[in-house]
Amino acid sequence: MSKIILIVFIFMLDLAADEAHEIIKKLDENFRGKNIYMKLNMKIVSMGHERVMKMQSYSQGTKKSFVKIIYPPKDEGITFLSLDREMWQYVPKIERIIKIPPSMMLQKWMGSDITNDDMVKQSSIVEDYEPKIIKREGSVVTIELTPKENAPVVWGKITLNIDTTTYTSHKDIFYDEEGKEVRYFIYKDVKKVGNYYIPTYWRVQSSDTEGRYTEMILEEVEYDTKISEEYFTKSALKRFSK
Amino acid sequence: MFKLAFKNILFYKGRSIATAVLTFVSTMLFILYISLQDGSHNSMLENSLKIYTGAIEIYRKDYRDIGGNEYLIQDVKAITDKLEKIDAIEEYSPRYETYGLLSNKEYSAASMVAGIEPNKEKLLSSLESALIEGSFLDEGSANCIYIGAELLKKLKLGIGDEVAFIGSASDGSFAADMFKVCGVFKTGSFEFDSSTSFVARSYFDELMNAKNRASYITLKLKNIEDADKVNEQIISMLDDENLESLTWKTLMKSMVEIMEIDAVFGYISLSLFMVVIFFVIMIYGFVNVSSRIKEFGVLRCIGLSKRNIFLLLFYEIALLSIFATLLATPIAAYICYYYNINPIVIDGIADMYKDYGIVSDEIPFDYNLFTIGWNVGVIYLLNFLSILYPYMYINSFRPIEATRHV
Amino acid sequence: MYKLILKLAWKNSFLRRSRTLLVIIMIAVSMSMMLAIEGIYDGMVENMVDKNKRSDSGDISIFAKEYRINKDLAYMIKNADEIKAQIENMQGAQAVVLRVKAEGLLSTARKSSFASVVGIDLQAEERFGKFSEFLKEGSIDLQKQGAIVGIELAKTLKVGVGSKVVFSTQDIRGEINSIALYVRAIVQTTNISLDNSAIFIDINQLHKFLGTDSKNAMQIAIRGEDKELYGKLKIAFANLDVKSFLELQPMIKQMQDLMIIFNSVTFLIVMGVVFIGIFGVMYVSILDRVREFGIMISVGMHYKYIRLQIFLESIVIGVLGYLSGAVLGAVLLTYLEHYGIDLSAFSDALATWGYEAVIYATIKVSYFTTTLGAIMAASIFSVIIPLRKIKKLNPIEVIKAEK
Repeated sequence: MSKIILIVFIFMLDLAADEAHEIIKKLDENFRGKNIYMKLNMKIVSMGHERVMKMQSYSQGTKKSFVKIIYPPKDEGITFLSLDREMWQYVPKIERIIKIPPSMMLQKWMGSDITNDDMVKQSSIVEDYEPKIIKREGSVVTIELTPKENAPVVWGKITLNIDTTTYTSHKDIFYDEEGKEVRYFIYKDVKKVGNYYIPTYWRVQSSDTEGRYTEMILEEVEYDTKISEEYFTKSALKRFSK
Repeated sequence: MFKLAFKNILFYKGRSIATAVLTFVSTMLFILYISLQDGSHNSMLENSLKIYTGAIEIYRKDYRDIGGNEYLIQDVKAITDKLEKIDAIEEYSPRYETYGLLSNKEYSAASMVAGIEPNKEKLLSSLESALIEGSFLDEGSANCIYIGAELLKKLKLGIGDEVAFIGSASDGSFAADMFKVCGVFKTGSFEFDSSTSFVARSYFDELMNAKNRASYITLKLKNIEDADKVNEQIISMLDDENLESLTWKTLMKSMVEIMEIDAVFGYISLSLFMVVIFFVIMIYGFVNVSSRIKEFGVLRCIGLSKRNIFLLLFYEIALLSIFATLLATPIAAYICYYYNINPIVIDGIADMYKDYGIVSDEIPFDYNLFTIGWNVGVIYLLNFLSILYPYMYINSFRPIEATRHV
Repeated sequence: MYKLILKLAWKNSFLRRSRTLLVIIMIAVSMSMMLAIEGIYDGMVENMVDKNKRSDSGDISIFAKEYRINKDLAYMIKNADEIKAQIENMQGAQAVVLRVKAEGLLSTARKSSFASVVGIDLQAEERFGKFSEFLKEGSIDLQKQGAIVGIELAKTLKVGVGSKVVFSTQDIRGEINSIALYVRAIVQTTNISLDNSAIFIDINQLHKFLGTDSKNAMQIAIRGEDKELYGKLKIAFANLDVKSFLELQPMIKQMQDLMIIFNSVTFLIVMGVVFIGIFGVMYVSILDRVREFGIMISVGMHYKYIRLQIFLESIVIGVLGYLSGAVLGAVLLTYLEHYGIDLSAFSDALATWGYEAVIYATIKVSYFTTTLGAIMAASIFSVIIPLRKIKKLNPIEVIKAEK
């Protein structure tokens, strides 16, 4: 009798673990689809003054992405390409393609609270972390991601608060190794696009400093359209800059 | 007593000459050694300072620890208006420093790129004098970049070449431009020459949206020794708890400490010399006195008190010391003065010690009357101490015994 | 006869006890102070040299020809393991280690900094330079992606034992790769370049991470004091860059030169003054006894015996002074060798320049031998002038004359 209970118990645990994996996978898919096109408005607020940028982003899978800045005019035409874990940037004003060296990967992307590395390592949530469900409140599941052994990620843990009706998170918190909060993402205004759900308002903020945050609003989003492979080549940097 | 002392000196020529010579030598040694030590320390400091660091620098609090656009000085004019009122400030200039990527074809390097006011820098720092190729910046330099020799090498650039700059402006937005290499500098400090470059503010401010902003304000004082005093003046005048004003002592703390250590060791070595010389002077004094026991015995018998004996010894050594130091001090002082104005130049010393931050081939002496004063004071003190033991020796004899002494 | 002379010399030395004693004290104090200072200075330099050799270059290091100018993964020593075996068989080679290095970015959740990762074989390093002695915190263990971090780097990144860090760099294929490392220990080598930017991991792990061949290495470091070894290595590996310790660290060579000059000058000045001291005393002592010598000559004693006696007197003082100085000096040096001088008030500045806060003295036999020679020379030379005076004496006049 006790053996059966044990087996059932283990089975349930497995299920729970499996469920966490499932949730994460679905969450990831929502952000990615097979490929995804987004038109974004980014607002960067620091020390009382604001800056706005608009951009178009094309990504395929987890390893390829192309971004073009369309506003403000002085930055219009700047393009970024990331393939696997390398990143390049084209600056029309100086007509140069620059490869971003590893040292700059951890710098803030365009002055926001998101690092270059963030832009490129979007995939690692599934690969590098082990998910566990730690709370359930109605349809919202809180999942704690702990880095897998030897995963090369700097976060001590990440908690995601996922609404299982849409498989989108409404708040992600990033912790350092000692369990202190370093930054958090807030997601709002979930929209359904085709078979996918995606929050159209994102905000990322450092937990240490007040009055400093970056907001992103999705003006347009399309999934699984035909995105030409040409976007993910180095020649795209210059070509699609216009 | 005095006359007796004088006669004794002339009579016992051997001892007198030896003591006088020793005192002379020790005075010279002391003064010159300290002068050389202080002089070379000051010179090291000034030279390293002169390269780039100011005698005083004004920052927004936390800029030095955390850095970044949030801690820039936002209203430079408000501060500089106040600085105009302080007389002891010879020159000042707000600098805008940023870190970015410089790139030439496939070579890129991270570098500090600083917006400077060329005309002020000519007076404030040795950036212009470090020029080795091309020309320094001026107000009309536009997109000219003044680059360190090692950085130039790293990027495989030459005069007239273009180099791409990518960084972020004072509001965090993207900034990129093409600069032209107009001048190259070599200060001798490898770190500085391999990671810094300069652009005129008249151009850079546009690009970086940095008008009336600064990373810090650097100051040159009329007299670097007044740094602490003037700094207090500045702090009270600024009256802003968000600003901090620091002297070079804080800015170059590690160098200052190394020099303190060096000075400590210098004093230890010097005290070794002084100890040896002290002993020898004492020995000569003692030998002289011990051969005059009979004489002292007689003097005591005819009524001279112990105090008088002491005075006698005292006058003897005083006369000798004063004579020797009166000779030595002016000579030593003059040497200090001369080499202070015309430092000794050892070619190549700068190259050898450039890793220590030594950038000049000159070794100046320090000319400081106060230092010389206390140096001489110490010599006197040692000389006077040297008569104590001989005096005690004399008193260990009873007068009658003494007269029979062989 | 000679026994008599010796006895006379000995007795005469102590005729004026105080005088002789003063000279002996003078020599003892000056000598011991000088020895202590020399010991500390030499200690400072030796300490630096030793730490540097043990933590980095050894006595000789070998690199691929272009490596020192351009620290790229492309410039590795091929078949370094075979070369290592070859060197180990050479005479004079005491220990050989291989090292793999790469530069990149080390990051935590809040901070990142440039760093150099150094792949080492812990056991070999222990034999090579007693690596475990650099330990400041934690335990020396590189298993399972363990890493050992230089003390200043740890401070910059604000990490401690147990922290996780991520190191990113370009691997051999040019791709940017990252690896998670766990800080197991913090070391202080006082080798500035290492303390400020080095993170040590297991060499095989680094090979795996970079994708490099485990037969190759960036650096072969050799310890061996045999002076011929350097020449032999240069010939055997003419296609590689073979550099001696002093060639790699010219700054230290200059420091050594500077110390030698400084110690020599101090030595000359001090011995010079000691000479003047002995001279003064001997001169007066001899002149006092002019009558005595006059009598001795007139009774038939040959001048050469008197000369000998005077020399002996001077030497007796010198030897006694030397012995007291040697004992005092040895005591001081031994104390300083064990306890050192505590300069922790200046520890920040010292650390910047690669020194530890406590400086220990070294003891060299040469301190004692050179001083002995100098004091003997001073003793002997100090009596030459007085002797001349004696030689010219006319015995009768001397006896007759009033003092």
